[in-house]
Amino acid sequence: MLDRTHAPPPGPLRAFDFPPSTLTRLPHGVALEVVHLPRLPLATAILVLRAGEDRLPTDRGGLAVLAGDALEGGTDELDGHAFAEALESIGADLDVSTGWDVTTVSLSCLADRLPRALELLASLVRTPAYPEAEVRRARDGQLARIRQRDMNPGSRAGTWAARTLYAAGEPYARSALGDADGVGALGRDAVVGFAEAYYRPAGAALVVAGDVDAGEVEALAARVLDGWVGGDGVPDAPAGASAGAERRAVVVDRPGAVQSEIRVGHVGAPRGIEDRVDLVVGNAVLGGTFSSRLNLNLRERHGFTYGVRARWSWRRGPGPFLVGTAVDTDVTADAVREIFSEIERIHAEGPTAEEVEQARDYLAGVFPLRLESTAQVAARVAERHVFELAGDHWATWRDRIRAVTAESARAALRRHLRPEALQCVVVGEADAVARDLASLDVGPVGVVDR
Amino acid sequence: MSVEIEIHRHRLANGLEVVVAPDRALPVVAVNLWYGVGSRNERPGRTGFAHLFEHMMFQGSKHVAKNGHFEAVERAGGSLNGSTWFDRTNYYETLPSHQLDLALWLESDRMGWLVDAMTQEKLDNQRDVVKNEKRERYDNQPYGDWMERMQRLVWPHGHPYRHTVIGSMEDLDAADLDDVKDFFRTWYVPNNAVLTIAGDVDPADAFDRVERWFGEIPPRGGAATGGAGAGRIAAGATAPVAVPMERPAREVVESDVPLVRVFIGLRIPPFTDPAFDAVDVAAGVLGSGRAARLYARLVRPGVVRDAFAFPFPLVGGASILLVGATGFADSDPEVVERALVEQLESLPDLDGTEVERALALEEARAARQLERLEARADRLSMYTCLLDRPERVNEDLDRLRALTVEEVRDAAGRWFAAPGRATLVYVPISEGEAD
Repeated sequence: MLDRTHAPPPGPLRAFDFPPSTLTRLPHGVALEVVHLPRLPLATAILVLRAGEDRLPTDRGGLAVLAGDALEGGTDELDGHAFAEALESIGADLDVSTGWDVTTVSLSCLADRLPRALELLASLVRTPAYPEAEVRRARDGQLARIRQRDMNPGSRAGTWAARTLYAAGEPYARSALGDADGVGALGRDAVVGFAEAYYRPAGAALVVAGDVDAGEVEALAARVLDGWVGGDGVPDAPAGASAGAERRAVVVDRPGAVQSEIRVGHVGAPRGIEDRVDLVVGNAVLGGTFSSRLNLNLRERHGFTYGVRARWSWRRGPGPFLVGTAVDTDVTADAVREIFSEIERIHAEGPTAEEVEQARDYLAGVFPLRLESTAQVAARVAERHVFELAGDHWATWRDRIRAVTAESARAALRRHLRPEALQCVVVGEADAVARDLASLDVGPVGVVDR
Repeated sequence: MSVEIEIHRHRLANGLEVVVAPDRALPVVAVNLWYGVGSRNERPGRTGFAHLFEHMMFQGSKHVAKNGHFEAVERAGGSLNGSTWFDRTNYYETLPSHQLDLALWLESDRMGWLVDAMTQEKLDNQRDVVKNEKRERYDNQPYGDWMERMQRLVWPHGHPYRHTVIGSMEDLDAADLDDVKDFFRTWYVPNNAVLTIAGDVDPADAFDRVERWFGEIPPRGGAATGGAGAGRIAAGATAPVAVPMERPAREVVESDVPLVRVFIGLRIPPFTDPAFDAVDVAAGVLGSGRAARLYARLVRPGVVRDAFAFPFPLVGGASILLVGATGFADSDPEVVERALVEQLESLPDLDGTEVERALALEEARAARQLERLEARADRLSMYTCLLDRPERVNEDLDRLRALTVEEVRDAAGRWFAAPGRATLVYVPISEGEAD
């Protein structure tokens, strides 16, 4: 008899193996990794370049993003339009994405078009033309995005959190897009110089996933990258020094705001730490899922917010650990108090065995859901190269998740959470929230009005 | 390179159309339901109701607590949502495949036993949520009312596509609990729905499970058993209109927008008409990709900041093609409008190379769309609900490839270059304001 009164129990968790791959090193120093995925006749290629924003000093912030975007201007042989036409006439999509760690140039196409598409990708990276007009167009677009970012309370909170957490001069203390003054001053020379220095093979990786043959791809890659030389390999990761070891709060005044954007956290940990899997499970209990402690407290028990999350931004250096949420102005201090108290509690007591079990099931079950497409699989493999992780990192991921215990999660949280050093940023109506905040144990409260 | 999706189909005795597309590559399953009801089925004075009703579908049912739907799926590591459109309303979950029963339990409970859990309080609450959504997404956004204005320009009085999916505040206020119950009994019946399951399932087992969870729900309402897939949605087309529009229409809106933006709407044949294929390809020549005419001729040279062109796949007698562009802080609205019109009027001179490019992009994108099971399931539901033919996912490219350049040119001439177009121009109130 069918029981409709309760959720049906799940069936047995099905085994899942991360697709195997072939790794070779090309003569120019590029690591090539090919994943055979014959499910659909598609292919994705991702070229990882050691050209991230983290190599840039504060006053050049945003240059890596600009150099990536201005690739739209085409190559020495094909101008921007001709290049787009060459790609699109074979149905290929090319996307350039620049972050803190690296610049990636990704290609997606039907598998049998890969040879021509990869040839185009290689020529773009090796011989970008960067015509004046296209550099200007990319710069105007970036300036518009910076303006939009500064108008959005959520992204303003993120920018202020970075500035508050990190010591001045640390790359992570700024926004990856740069600021209006700095980007406004960048021109073609800066862009060309950046590409010449960092769009280089040493330390680079090429990942291809799809309905392809590893041997053929190797021959193809060797051909299109032939003669490509130089580069300084993998640069040192930023140290990510903290601005301070003690609690401090900043209110970014937004007169008339009906909501406050809240960020609470401190400088986190680099992607490469040994106990990351334990920390991921522990963080899921704290604030990584719908049924996490923070969400059950702030959303379900108190009704302060639509949602709250705790995140570790994983970068080569220690990215920020931040709890983020948006709440009505009049409950701002209450919400901050609850966030501090949940962080303190899990740091002191650790998660329960039952909480850890639930988080493990969730993380193990959800893993294959984000591996449906060639682009998703290629991105995971590329991630291994960016952070120089072990070759079996994803193959063993589900097993490692399931091996986490309440003890190991607790130890990781104790090692990496620093309740005594929490920094708090609130973007909201200062008159309404600053005094209440000062009555909490959040350290000195400063108010800024930009 | 052609893509072949394995498709199985079965209809329950109560009329529910079930499509199963097995793909065991990953332990993931997507469940997708299309109900054959959208904003165009709303009665006068109740605009926005189909969408309000969609919200009520997440407020619990007889055996599922309020918000229990979201909570259960997220706890299981899945994702879910629903959306309302002119011709249909859809609901979907993607889950680890060992949780298939969870999705079937949730969906069958609200299809069979929603009304048991409906209360005035929930209705009032969701009405507020929807009104907030309207304020946030439409009323307080620059250009937020463009769709509403465009619909009034393109469709005549009384036409079911003339009002927006979000509806009016007044009509939302007028809705009561009886409306909820009536709407449910009329439209949310197994005989007006398509259920697609794509991914890690065995077809026979999946059909068994569907029978177990959905089989006892009786067919109800005026809709005859026979399934939404029997092309009934298209057949129910009302208010025939001329295609293209007989006369041009235009509106200039001076409002608090950052930049000049021009929208042009054109009536085109409905999605169910074979002529739609050529419209689709012509739209690709005009607006798809960075070598397309709009990008190459207007965006790259700096005439406008961005531009787009795409047809809606509506089925009620006619559909709509939208073309538009945004200028810069100092753009003259007339220059932007003229630039767009020139591209529409000259489109019939397109050549074979351009058609090839549009087809190549479409081919790769169509294949890529089938990679994600959520999108695959939705497309299968769509083709079953609108065309009674899920197999269309395997035939689309061949159909497009069979088109001649002449046919695409002809479509450009008849529908894109037609003088009967609706033009909507947004002009910033304070000139010289930065974007």
